Amino acid sequence: MTEPVRTTLDDPALVRVRGLTTVLNGKTIFDALDMDIPRGKITAIMGPSGTGKTTLLKHITGQMRADAGSIHVNGDNVAELSREQLYKLREGIGYLFQNSALLTDFDVFENVAFPLRQHTRLPEVLIRNLVLLKLQAVGLRGAAQLMPNELSGGMARRVALARAIVFDPMLILYDEPFVGLDPVALNQVLKLIRTLNQTLGITSVLVAHELEAIKQVADHVFLIANGKVVAQGDPKTIASDGSPWTRQFFGGEADGPVPFQYPAGDYAEALGFAGAAK
Amino acid sequence: MTVREPQRNNVVSQSLAQIGACGLFLLTLLAAIPRSFRYARETIRQLWFVGAMSLTIIMVCGLFVGMVLMLQLYHVLSIFGGTSASGMVVALSVYRELGPVVTALLFAGRAGTSITAEIGLMRATDQIDAMEMMAVDPIAYVATPRFLAGLIAMPLLCCVFCAMAIFGGHLVGVTWLGIDNGTFWSNMTAQVDVHTDIVNGVLLKSLAFGAVVSLIAVFQGFTTPPTSEGVAYATTRTVVASSIAILALDFVLTAFLM
Repeated sequence: MTEPVRTTLDDPALVRVRGLTTVLNGKTIFDALDMDIPRGKITAIMGPSGTGKTTLLKHITGQMRADAGSIHVNGDNVAELSREQLYKLREGIGYLFQNSALLTDFDVFENVAFPLRQHTRLPEVLIRNLVLLKLQAVGLRGAAQLMPNELSGGMARRVALARAIVFDPMLILYDEPFVGLDPVALNQVLKLIRTLNQTLGITSVLVAHELEAIKQVADHVFLIANGKVVAQGDPKTIASDGSPWTRQFFGGEADGPVPFQYPAGDYAEALGFAGAAK
Repeated sequence: MTVREPQRNNVVSQSLAQIGACGLFLLTLLAAIPRSFRYARETIRQLWFVGAMSLTIIMVCGLFVGMVLMLQLYHVLSIFGGTSASGMVVALSVYRELGPVVTALLFAGRAGTSITAEIGLMRATDQIDAMEMMAVDPIAYVATPRFLAGLIAMPLLCCVFCAMAIFGGHLVGVTWLGIDNGTFWSNMTAQVDVHTDIVNGVLLKSLAFGAVVSLIAVFQGFTTPPTSEGVAYATTRTVVASSIAILALDFVLTAFLM
């Protein structure tokens, strides 16, 4: 590898992935994957189900170790960090889980205040003001006293977003943020992602399938398939780059390089017709 | 081609693997105790949940165990004219065996299962992962406070159980069956040894049972598959494994402490 891997503060890439290889249960998820996630931009990661998009986010946050390759986040090689260093890095990363992952024992206010209470010794008044600021930003200041089971899916996701940005992180990772949202809630989340990116300068990484939503919000798109980046570029033009992967994925075609069948043995043999076929 | 884990095709090797994993988990828990001191409020919250909230079942069961024990002993001892010793025998039975063992079994059913189910559901709903992502150590924040709470609560609950059992025995023996009040207490105080019966019997055993039940409950919660079926199995395993561990450990401790 000739290109230097390390990212620095003036590096245009906040996250640099090099030669990432992951094998899970004998299945190759990533095969020497390379990717640069630009600083201060909104980057979308798309791909067929099961291609490892969420796994990639877990690698970036150090929740999962790769079999080979490296991931540098803001200059730090994630795999080489000690537990304390990794936790320090994570304080600068917001993560929006697919199912919001709110702490069910706490109300909305305490959920957002949780990271502040764990990592700071701020006075209660300041914590209260910071939490209300973040809840106001996601439009849920009035829901501060509600419990997570009293929230709709869209509201829960916005609370999780408020919690994710409570430390004004440098990087925020959204895992399927649009799933299950009605058009109004979807547009609210889209607007929030764009506003947060512009006002706080946060680097955002979105894992999503909704191309129309991605076109509205993302600056750059990576299409992952077969363990590699098969296409990347501007979300408005990537669909027309002509490759069979983009044509099938963005065109929603049933036939193409994206396999419908999960890898399996011979069909006739499985049905017991192997002898008859011969 | 799928690479599968080596099949563990018998109960013995599966159980040994579980015990080994549980032992390693215990080391992780113990290492996290210094880090968990900053979550003292969470430990107190768990102490309330597993300790104070278990008081009703412990008190009621203690009362009835004492009552039935006295009833049985009175009828047996009356054959030999030894009913005056029944208070003493109730006390020794409760302090040495029934108190710690029954309290631990009740604790496993009441608090152990809820700890496992709570942690299992936290895993299934990504709350444990969310804590990791918020740079909060889930072992120090979730596991250790529950383990410590169980460790502290068990001896206290056992004391309450024993007191209620003695009270139940007194209620039946003295109030109902007419044993002399002075004989009941004097025989008991004469025969019960603080070190052998209270320290070794009540405190030491219940401390050991508290550690075992809490460890099993927390371990099962953390290692359960994040599915509804997984949580259900883990909860069942907590009760089964705890019950076996309590009774086996009771034999070992009794053999060493007698």
